[in-house]
Amino acid sequence: MDAEHIETAQHAVTTVTPSITALFGIILTLMIVSLAAEEKLHAKKSVIVGVFAIISLLLGSFLGIIPIGAVTVPGGHHIDMPVYIPGIDWKVIAIIVGSSVFVDVTSKSGLFTWIAIVLTKASKGDPVKLLWSYGLMTVIFSAVLNNVTAMIIVGSLTVVSLGKLGRSHQLLHFLLIEGLLTNIGGLLTLISSVPNIIVGGAAGISFVAFFIKAAPFVIVATAATIFMGAKIFKITALKTEEEKQEAAHLIAGFNENDGIESRAFFWFSTAMLIAFILTIATTSILPVVKDLGMGFVALAFATIMLIRYKAEADKFYKAVDWDLIGFFMGLFVVINVMEHAHVLDAIGKAVQFMIGEGETSFGTGVLLISSAVFSSVTDNIPLAAMLAKILVSLGTATDSTLWWSVVFGANLGGNLTPIGSASTLVAVTIMHKHKVPLSFAGFVIKALPFAIMQITLATIYVLVF
Amino acid sequence: MFLGMTQVDQFESIFRSALTDTYEYALPEVNSVLLVTDRNETDVQDYLKDIQKFLSVLGTSVTWSVLNADDYKTTQDLLDRVDQEKPDIICSYRNLKSKDWVFKHSLGSYLDVLIQRAKSPVLVLPHPDADYVHDHAMQNTDKVMAITSHLSNDHQLINYALRFTQSNGSVFLSHIEDQMTFDRYVGIISKISAIDTDEAREKISEQLLKEPAAYIESCKQTLLDNNSPVTVENIVMFGHHLSEYKKLVLDHKIDLLVMNAKDHDQLAMHGMAYPLAVELRQVPLLML
Repeated sequence: MDAEHIETAQHAVTTVTPSITALFGIILTLMIVSLAAEEKLHAKKSVIVGVFAIISLLLGSFLGIIPIGAVTVPGGHHIDMPVYIPGIDWKVIAIIVGSSVFVDVTSKSGLFTWIAIVLTKASKGDPVKLLWSYGLMTVIFSAVLNNVTAMIIVGSLTVVSLGKLGRSHQLLHFLLIEGLLTNIGGLLTLISSVPNIIVGGAAGISFVAFFIKAAPFVIVATAATIFMGAKIFKITALKTEEEKQEAAHLIAGFNENDGIESRAFFWFSTAMLIAFILTIATTSILPVVKDLGMGFVALAFATIMLIRYKAEADKFYKAVDWDLIGFFMGLFVVINVMEHAHVLDAIGKAVQFMIGEGETSFGTGVLLISSAVFSSVTDNIPLAAMLAKILVSLGTATDSTLWWSVVFGANLGGNLTPIGSASTLVAVTIMHKHKVPLSFAGFVIKALPFAIMQITLATIYVLVF
Repeated sequence: MFLGMTQVDQFESIFRSALTDTYEYALPEVNSVLLVTDRNETDVQDYLKDIQKFLSVLGTSVTWSVLNADDYKTTQDLLDRVDQEKPDIICSYRNLKSKDWVFKHSLGSYLDVLIQRAKSPVLVLPHPDADYVHDHAMQNTDKVMAITSHLSNDHQLINYALRFTQSNGSVFLSHIEDQMTFDRYVGIISKISAIDTDEAREKISEQLLKEPAAYIESCKQTLLDNNSPVTVENIVMFGHHLSEYKKLVLDHKIDLLVMNAKDHDQLAMHGMAYPLAVELRQVPLLML
């Protein structure tokens, strides 16, 4: 439901004074700082944001700045609905829940592990070929699945295959490169990452337009990252025929069919995955479906896949990241209250001051780099959600480069620190699990050359193309 | 698209399960055999002929030598002589220079030391005076069984078993998971509320049998690729080691059992090897 279209104030709303705006600005800042300190607080995002949503709603209601009462839905009907319901972007929630279940059921077919093992075997155990295989796989999986899942699948396979090849000493470097590539893969499509969905949705960018714009950058940045990684970390090809034969023999022990329980379900899942991507890509032009949106497509495909496991469908609901869902719901509520408290207006003015009037190269570059820096220390989702609202309020055109500054900055900023994105955090977690720990500073030192290269490339790309 | 924060361990398990050991085909060379007896030179000739006939699979170019009772007085003497000879295979029997073979309770000190210290594999034959040898035993080696508690990545064991199997014969690759040990672990699991006992029993037993079965499949495929004239039979099951192997020897009329005996982590023999070597006296055993 779109809050802007349906929300109607039934009660009088108090005039918002600058002190009220400042008070809510402090609350928003505290929430962002708390999210940045998520690890230190030992608290899940959903809980942190949930607490701030409660505080915001109570204060907003007490001060009378939020409209409480019936809302008007399309068709002119009035319905009673709690104020925190229309503030949530249910399109985003529907996409996430539908996709989670769809991917989880599809993964039971053994499709993703089959692809991963086939690519591993194709490398014949050569470290350089393995790095390229895993790098490309990370990008594709990040684009088609999500960054965290891609990191878990490719990272796990890296641990097992390098162990088998007696190359565990290269584990840290492989995992680091893969972690950095997840955030590049997350740029490929409109549904590859949450900032893409939020910003793309706010800007009105279609799936195909997003892909056409992002794909060239993703290809160049992926190749540059892998090439640079091989050079910096001295990952070289096997030299002697004997080494090649031994590595090929060891890697031949992988059986790509091991995880496939049913050949029919495997092929059905493959067909459904292709159909899903095609449907999502063409949602904006498909009759009937275009009115229901991508969230409907994701939920419908998930339901069709669940028919295979109809008696145990409840198990797959556990695969949904309820922390992420709770986080979004709380975040949308907080942002909705901040909008009524004119906090977003104030930030918007600051952003406008920073990027200047109209669309300038300086403004585009500054927005991209500042988005990246901000994303490196805290979650990129609140940033994307806030900036998307602000750019909408500024009347930014769909084809403006400012949207892409936010998309590129929010995604690539995650590569500056280990806490910058969930997928790099997963990479570091796998390193620790396998006794190749990397400190915060160690990560920054190793990742910085890659992040600078990627952000520089992105800035040039956004400005030139 | 989004998937929940699936545990890293879950995917590592999937990939570990998909990674199976593949058999490496490399038959060992057997050019010299040393027979160690406690007889004198004249008494041993007929026995030597019987063994040569039994081991005809080794071919006619093998060099045979014999150590008789007078050639060694202590276990160290025996080891020194074996070191000098450097045979590819040592043949001997239980309770050398002792009458204890009638009691069927031990291997005797000489054989014990040979198995544990000699670099070459030891072929343990039934005692020449024993009357408990199976009818089918000591005739030929057309049915050979490799025994192990962990049949996976054990290329040497398989290669020796194949080397001793006659052309057009069968090699039985066996893996018996100890039922008592498994039941004990499941019993412990049944007391842990966080683990579903039935699911754990099913999944663990499935995985325990899957790995050796996959390895045997890779053996079959490799032998097929190498045009081996030997047929591979697989026996992968739960049971009690000793009783199951005794039964399998009888059921399949096994001529030779091949097993690992040396344990690099300890001076004593490999855990399962000793009880099998003591009790399975009716057929020859090749102990690596």
